[in-house]
Amino acid sequence: MKIQCELCPKNCLIKPGQSGECRVRLNIDGILRTVVYGYPCSIHVDPIEKKPLFHFLPGTGILSIATVGCNLHCRNCQNWEISQTNPEDSQAYFLPPEKLVAEARNNRIPSIAYTYTDPIIFYEYTYDSAKLAKKEGIRSVLVTAGYVNTEPWERLLEYVDAANIDLKGITEEFYRNVCSGTLKPVQNALVTAKAKGVLVEVTNLIIPTLNDSPQDLRKLCSWIKSNLGADTPLHFSRFFPRYKMRHLPATSLGTLKLAREIALSEGLQYIYIGNIASKEGQNTYCPGCKNLLIERSGYTILQNRLKEDGCPDCGQIIYGVWK
Amino acid sequence: MTRRKFIKKLIGAGSLVVVGAGWLVKKTVPLKYVRALKFKKYPGSLKSMSNIPTQGKWSG
Repeated sequence: MKIQCELCPKNCLIKPGQSGECRVRLNIDGILRTVVYGYPCSIHVDPIEKKPLFHFLPGTGILSIATVGCNLHCRNCQNWEISQTNPEDSQAYFLPPEKLVAEARNNRIPSIAYTYTDPIIFYEYTYDSAKLAKKEGIRSVLVTAGYVNTEPWERLLEYVDAANIDLKGITEEFYRNVCSGTLKPVQNALVTAKAKGVLVEVTNLIIPTLNDSPQDLRKLCSWIKSNLGADTPLHFSRFFPRYKMRHLPATSLGTLKLAREIALSEGLQYIYIGNIASKEGQNTYCPGCKNLLIERSGYTILQNRLKEDGCPDCGQIIYGVWK
Repeated sequence: MTRRKFIKKLIGAGSLVVVGAGWLVKKTVPLKYVRALKFKKYPGSLKSMSNIPTQGKWSG
């Protein structure tokens, strides 16, 4: 008997013995089963700035995990070796939620990131781990494309402290042609997360010729300002030719700087440039007095001038979770 | 045929139609799930964990 998975907007109809598009949620005897619960393929301690999260516990390490699989199939995927592979072709660790949270606690790591592929497809593992982590005082971070249905998303957000959510483009055409997804559910996920009080930062990977036009960038920034607020940090990230998009060049620094200028002119307050060295693009400046607040070099914090959660010079409150 | 027999046959036929339609609906309309249950065995191979490696090579 066929079953339907209603976790993400793909709403996959799954025949017996087969999986949904994510490769990890299967129809076994008419019951939906996840084969990656407690089996991450990657575990690392990353600097939190790598997620990227610049307004959440700066300078701390974050225990980062992923399982194989993904519900999107972006032609430019940077992690396609794990996101677009089958569980049966992969190697994984056995790390159930209790052990995962214990690893964070024993190593004094203040937060856990569900990242690299997409935590939506290992939803139950993420949910149970985040719930347990909250009890232990450990924060939970999602790095996600936000391609999820509203009801499970809202339920998961109860236990999530911060999220970096991709807004990969601002047209349905881009999502359809490049990611095999749709735009609207991602926009809904962004709005819901911000409304639920989760610290939200947005990443937009700029791909030459596909989503780098000044009009699209302006539209994207304007949408963020109107729907998430001017204080939402936005990371423009450099594209590198990978997976099925090896024919395109890497994004130029000029394009990234132009995107930053457009975002600032649209009124967004915290604009960063990632995957490339750029002085202004990696520092946090006060939107009030424009003074430097946090100076970074790569993932390293060189200087943090924040006083409590505000600017030491003009007192402006800076959006973020600082300790 | 008496009226009573006719009504009995009508009810019988109606019941058959209802049961058949129910079976067909059950067969064609999929069960819907949001949460998935755990599958105990990992379909791939397992690797052992000693120390957590620092900084992953993956993006994100």
